[in-house]
Amino acid sequence: MATAAGFDFRRWRLVLLGGLLVGIVLFAAIFAPWVAPYSPFDLDVAKMLQGPSAAHWLGTDELGRDVLSRAIYAARISMQVALLAVTVGLVGGTLIGMTAAYFGGLVEQALMRAMDLLFSFPAILLAVVLMASLGTSVLNAMIAIGIVFIPGFSRLARASTQAVLRQQYIEAARSIGMSDIRIIFREILPNITAPLMVEAAVAFAYAVLLESALSFLGLGAQPPDPSWGNMLSTGRGFMAQAPWLSIVPGMAMFICVLGFNLLGDGLRDVTDPHMRE
Amino acid sequence: MDIRSRALQDGRPTLSIRDLTVDFPKRDGAFRAVDGVSLDVWPGEIVGVIGESGSGKTMTALSTLRMLPKRAVVSGSIELGQRRILDLSPADMRKLRGDRLSFIPQDAMRALNPTMRIGRQVGEPLVLHRNLSFKAAVSRAVDLLRAVHVREPERRVEDYPHGFSGGMQQRAMIAMGLALEPELIIADEPTTALDVTVQAQVLKLLKEIRDREATSILFITHDLGVVAELCDWVYVMYRGRIVEQGSVERIFMDPRDDYTKMLLASTPTLFPREAAI
Amino acid sequence: MIRLVLTRLAGFVLTLFAASVVLFVTINVLPGSAAKSALGIHATAQAIQRFEAQHGLDRPLLVQYAEWLGRILQGDFGTSFQNGVAVGPELLKRLPVTLELATFAFIIANLIAIPLGAWAARRHQKGADRSITFLATILGAIPNFWLATLLVLVFTLTLRWLPPGGFTPFTANPMMNLKQMIMPALSLGVVSSALLIRIMRASMLEVLSTDYVRTAEAKGASSRTIVFRHSMRNAFIPYLNVAAVEFGFLFGSVVVIEDIFLLPGVGSFVLVGIINRDYPVLLAGALAITLFVLTLNLVVDLIASLLDPRQVKARNA
Ligand SMILES: Nc1ncnc2c1ncn2[C@@H]1O[C@H](COP(=O)(O)OP(=O)(O)OP(=O)(O)O)[C@@H](O)[C@H]1O
Ligand SMILES: [Mg+2]
Repeated sequence: MATAAGFDFRRWRLVLLGGLLVGIVLFAAIFAPWVAPYSPFDLDVAKMLQGPSAAHWLGTDELGRDVLSRAIYAARISMQVALLAVTVGLVGGTLIGMTAAYFGGLVEQALMRAMDLLFSFPAILLAVVLMASLGTSVLNAMIAIGIVFIPGFSRLARASTQAVLRQQYIEAARSIGMSDIRIIFREILPNITAPLMVEAAVAFAYAVLLESALSFLGLGAQPPDPSWGNMLSTGRGFMAQAPWLSIVPGMAMFICVLGFNLLGDGLRDVTDPHMRE
Repeated sequence: MDIRSRALQDGRPTLSIRDLTVDFPKRDGAFRAVDGVSLDVWPGEIVGVIGESGSGKTMTALSTLRMLPKRAVVSGSIELGQRRILDLSPADMRKLRGDRLSFIPQDAMRALNPTMRIGRQVGEPLVLHRNLSFKAAVSRAVDLLRAVHVREPERRVEDYPHGFSGGMQQRAMIAMGLALEPELIIADEPTTALDVTVQAQVLKLLKEIRDREATSILFITHDLGVVAELCDWVYVMYRGRIVEQGSVERIFMDPRDDYTKMLLASTPTLFPREAAI
Repeated sequence: MIRLVLTRLAGFVLTLFAASVVLFVTINVLPGSAAKSALGIHATAQAIQRFEAQHGLDRPLLVQYAEWLGRILQGDFGTSFQNGVAVGPELLKRLPVTLELATFAFIIANLIAIPLGAWAARRHQKGADRSITFLATILGAIPNFWLATLLVLVFTLTLRWLPPGGFTPFTANPMMNLKQMIMPALSLGVVSSALLIRIMRASMLEVLSTDYVRTAEAKGASSRTIVFRHSMRNAFIPYLNVAAVEFGFLFGSVVVIEDIFLLPGVGSFVLVGIINRDYPVLLAGALAITLFVLTLNLVVDLIASLLDPRQVKARNA
């Protein structure tokens, strides 16, 4: 039982746990040059495919590079891609959703139909096809994944905006002659951020998965740049001799995705009034 | 206190509630939804419980069924015939529900399962408590529906609830409640959702059932008119307590509690009061 | 009922048509590199021009689309830029592989999600509910291509029970077919089940809080009877609709899974199309996967409405 004034640990524990995992990954990504024991690119043919040891905690890869260091640097690419992709999806989706809800009518119909259509493609397929036409690169991966997120965010933004529009103060703002743009950005946007943030955390997790999948297929980050997806992809070739090459990058993805999912779930519980007892 | 002529009857009451209290624990203390309620229903009697919204009527009824929300804390005693309801094991309590004791809720539309045929729903108590097959139970349901004046019951048992009108849905609920000739029917505002003519028909039906089967009925309502038309004895509830009880005539002619007087005053077009003037 | 089917079918055709437009436009946003990819980087400008003229890539997009659609409607998917093989027959050969994979994966996902989700709802906020929700969170964080890798590590390399990949038609050797299918189907199905567990749990919780469940309880029904006789069917209706959409969303992973297990299905076809910039292949493959997902949604939608007597009646009238 928490006291009224005290911090309600139970309520926030998912957020804390998720935040901890995400924090670790972000820390590794930002401070990679200081955290990583070796350079991710230094080859050492003498040390090929060595198992975990005191010098190389997670072993070395087929070119003698330190796996831990590569996994740490790979967090950078994942976080960059995810951050940009979520931003693209969030901004694009929110604008479309708010516009649809605010203006209603034909505008809404057209926009939401288009979103439904985009949503009817399997996510990876859409990303992969986009990559095919944009060309394979990290930047294009970000854009492709971001576009995949637009329908989800736009639906959420539309529903939240509609809820806000039913409130009194929007009428008041209109009656004093506030412009549409001002109402949208001053009155509506601040009131729909909570659900969008929850969705953003979940989208972050999904972006990491998608980026890894694209890199795994050779459509994202290109070797020698380390990404969890391409590390796993090369590692699979040495599965019998060096299983850690397959386990480590997968574990890194798992921790990262789990962290963002827990954070999203936790934030949803905390911000959703129905969950409070 | 009145002289309770009904207490001079032979035997014991069908239902006897003593000092019933229902608490909902909160962060600071508890909310007392029912506060020391005592009431009796004698064989063949229709007893009304009247009170404003939130006065604890439904909680009293659900206590008798042992179907309160999980968080609720109950104390006091409830006897149905010789059985001490609050001391029964969950399994024994389940055997009682729908057999010796049945419940007719407020909103029949929502109380019926939308994906199950009426006949199966009405006959189900026989399946649950008498080990009948559904086939046999449905043919009993035909008789039960005929007894509550549903036309063409042979055909109607095959219908789904959405094919029934509001009044017919409530009749089906009543038929379900009658399936095993219970000792007590608890009806929680069974006519509130119906329009006036249908309401009158349902009330007439309940009276008819009491006269035919000598079933006791605990009738919950916030409508004085309904009480006047139907009940033999009335309890007035206010904020979780019984504030007054008496025969219908006495309550209407000579209300003693202030809350009862207010209730009467706010319902000016009642037939018994006009008769009294 | 017939009208219901017809309306759904009309929606299906419209979406498919719109999807074909989107795919076609997306894939043709950057024209030109197809020729380079097919002819090699050192191709001369003339060779490229000849290639584009030969394949009609130099005409307006709308004309190209109209012609492509016209030919597709006659069952002609064109020929691969890469090796001149006819795409249609090749696609047809690959469809059953992906269909089998999708079916197995969907069945596995539901076999996990339906009982666990329903059980969690029945034990709401108790230990079992917490454990199942936790399990769903864990499963949902596992990348399916990593799970595939781990499965191979355990069942192929360590235990030597299952082949690492490949495909044998069921009709040729049923046992071998199943042995080759089980790991790909598990990789897709187990991970997808995470989301479906949550959906099933939510649908069931919703139903368990309804008035008609209270009626069943008041009749003396046991908790088991309440779940199986009064709630399953009702919880299923929203579950199936949402589950099909979400599964379709995750189904794009066949591209990765088929690649890992060397399954000659539509997914690996798409991948080859992308890597080679082989537009006819890519377009046909992507359209086939979209068709898959839309068909799954359509079928599930119809099953769900069959479960709901209100819909059957309403659409009939
Ligand atoms: N699950 C619950 N948790 C906390 N309080 C509750 C809960 N259920 C009911 N209450 C409270 O108990 C009190 C009595 O409720 P009850 O439903 O018995 O009223 P009622 O007399 O039946 O009213 P109505 O005419 O509206 O049906 C109400 O004040 C209500 O807020
Ligand atoms: Mg009530």
